[in-house]
Amino acid sequence: MLVYALVAGLLFGLYFSLVGIGLNLVFGVMRIVNLAHGDFLMLGAFIAVGVSALAGFDPLFAVPLAFVVFVLVGLVLYYLLVPRLQGSVDPEMLSIILFFGLSQVIEALTTIAFGTSERSIDSGELGKILAGLRVHVFGGDADGPVELLGQSFPTSWVISAAVSVVAILLVYVYLYRTRLGTLTRAVMSRREEAFATGINVDRVSAVAFGIGLGLAAIAGVFAPFMFGSVTPAFGEDATVTSFAIVVLGSLGNPLGTALGGVVYGISYMVVQTYLSSWADLLPYVLLILILLLRPSGLLGRRVRVA
Amino acid sequence: MIRKIAMALVAGLMLATPALAADPPAEIKIGTLYASSGRFASISMPVHSALKIWVDQKNAEGGVYVKAFDKKIPIKLVAYDDQSNTATASTLYNQLITQDKVDLLVADSGSVLTAPAVAIARDHKMFLFDQTGTGASFFSKDNPYIALMADPVSTIWPKPVADFLTQDGPKLGIKKIALLYSTNEFTGTQANAVRKFIKEANAPVEIVYDQGVPTETSNYTVIINNIRAKQPDAVIHLGYAPNDIAFLRNVNEVGAKFKWLFCIYPGLETELLEKNVGVKGMQHVFTYVPPSELNYPVNFGMKMPEFRALWNKTFPDGKVEFGFNAVAGYTTALVIEKTLSVATSLDQMELRRAVFSLSGQLKTLDGTFALDETGGQIGELTPLGQLEPDGKGGLKFVAVYPHDVATGKPVYPRP
Repeated sequence: MLVYALVAGLLFGLYFSLVGIGLNLVFGVMRIVNLAHGDFLMLGAFIAVGVSALAGFDPLFAVPLAFVVFVLVGLVLYYLLVPRLQGSVDPEMLSIILFFGLSQVIEALTTIAFGTSERSIDSGELGKILAGLRVHVFGGDADGPVELLGQSFPTSWVISAAVSVVAILLVYVYLYRTRLGTLTRAVMSRREEAFATGINVDRVSAVAFGIGLGLAAIAGVFAPFMFGSVTPAFGEDATVTSFAIVVLGSLGNPLGTALGGVVYGISYMVVQTYLSSWADLLPYVLLILILLLRPSGLLGRRVRVA
Repeated sequence: MIRKIAMALVAGLMLATPALAADPPAEIKIGTLYASSGRFASISMPVHSALKIWVDQKNAEGGVYVKAFDKKIPIKLVAYDDQSNTATASTLYNQLITQDKVDLLVADSGSVLTAPAVAIARDHKMFLFDQTGTGASFFSKDNPYIALMADPVSTIWPKPVADFLTQDGPKLGIKKIALLYSTNEFTGTQANAVRKFIKEANAPVEIVYDQGVPTETSNYTVIINNIRAKQPDAVIHLGYAPNDIAFLRNVNEVGAKFKWLFCIYPGLETELLEKNVGVKGMQHVFTYVPPSELNYPVNFGMKMPEFRALWNKTFPDGKVEFGFNAVAGYTTALVIEKTLSVATSLDQMELRRAVFSLSGQLKTLDGTFALDETGGQIGELTPLGQLEPDGKGGLKFVAVYPHDVATGKPVYPRP
């Protein structure tokens, strides 16, 4: 049972790294607390439902679609909201109120559009275009579970984890191998100094904000498979869990989020195995523990120096 | 002279008072809550929507007949959104009683959102029309301010499940049972009842897995693996609709082949579950057979086909699914209508007397309305059934227990 919990926790945790990384990127660059993060995730899920149920395509096609759509949405939202926030006395505090309001608006509009009931996608739909490759690599049936270490895991978990790894690597490449990424890290490190050196902080921040929302939407594409179903109210829980993961890894360090997600995932599955009634307390317990023992997060020190 | 005028005024007042007391109100205010979002939206909105259908229907006819005033009076539904939040629900229940001063108080759907109403109603001596809150702790001999309208109380609801496993189960080869439940008043009570019935039966079956999980659980993969490790012959999962969706999807995703599997909501909210789990994932699952499959004879209100047709006409977009909770909401409305037609005043204890007078007499599309002395619903029972392929790509219910209502034999083990 422990081996199963560890492998499941790793897959689950890699997905949660993707859930949290967009939130951390936005906070790291702009020091803005995006309480609507989970709602963008929920909207990504509804895009996947639309792509699969209405258009009949593999939900994987929703990944690039959701990313592009929400990068654009992020750019528009940034210029609409964030410069005014940054001009205020306490942008962090005001961002909490502003994005809480935005979260409520998104949830209400989605409820009006789609109703309150649970929505999902047939598990067999995800990755059906890769079914041949999957059978070749892992064996088994095209529509069956994936065998890892002699145990069966949902195919959707493996695909979600794989896409999460690719997305995190791309974020790493963006931050450490591109000029825009270097500028982004400069803004993350010292916003005022970056501004003083002539960096177009607004442009850098807008791109980071767009990418943050795009990553949330990608995570949302897999939400119906990881959580069984989604509703317009799904965002609230996702935001809370994202915060726990981000704080665990380190606020402002997107790569710390990857580690935070894996630690969260494995802890969750181990607790669910041995103390199932207490599993949902885990995000809060981890949050308290990390704030007491290492307030800067698991990779906290590194980000400030980087 | 002044004395004469004063006496005349007093006499006038004395004569006028009974007339004032008999003055009918302009409207009967029914206060309730609903959850338009959150975990309980999918069980709350159908109940609330059905209540609204009834209100619109009655108001179109000029109102509902109120015996206390011997006339039809329009209904005003005062409804607030608790967003599936119990703290918000507590505030709003108080508001309905103290600010809106509603004549009748109706709880939101489900035990979790009914729980705050039970104590508040009792404190304010307000009779609570409990729609679907079946938790055991709501009903006691010292609380006269509650009655359950439309679901069997959870202490007896799972009896057909336990009886099937203890009586028919051993003949089929069922010896080991796994019990998984969400830790809330509704399913926690059902889990307790299952344990009690199995223990009392002294049958050659044992519970080899018995675990509770938080109601918010949305991922069961590891738990399913743990259950598989115990090699049970039968698995009982007791949760709300989102729990059942996640559980059944995970069962199929990991390829778990449980020989006998029971869940609550494939029967109660079949449309919703079909949309999210798929027909294949629900085949051969055991569940409660809902009233929509039983077509009970009625002596009050619409029959099932009429109600279904009206529902489809009212909600053509399918955003609110038709299911057990829709029937429950309409059943509550019928009990309220009948209560107002027999109560001699709107005093809360008189309303209670009127509700209890309907016990065993009122037959709606949900079955026979019957209360025990604590207000728990002991009629409107749901047999144990199994979802089988209907040959047209869909599913059909086959009632398997009790034997006197059975329409077929159980398929065991599940293919």
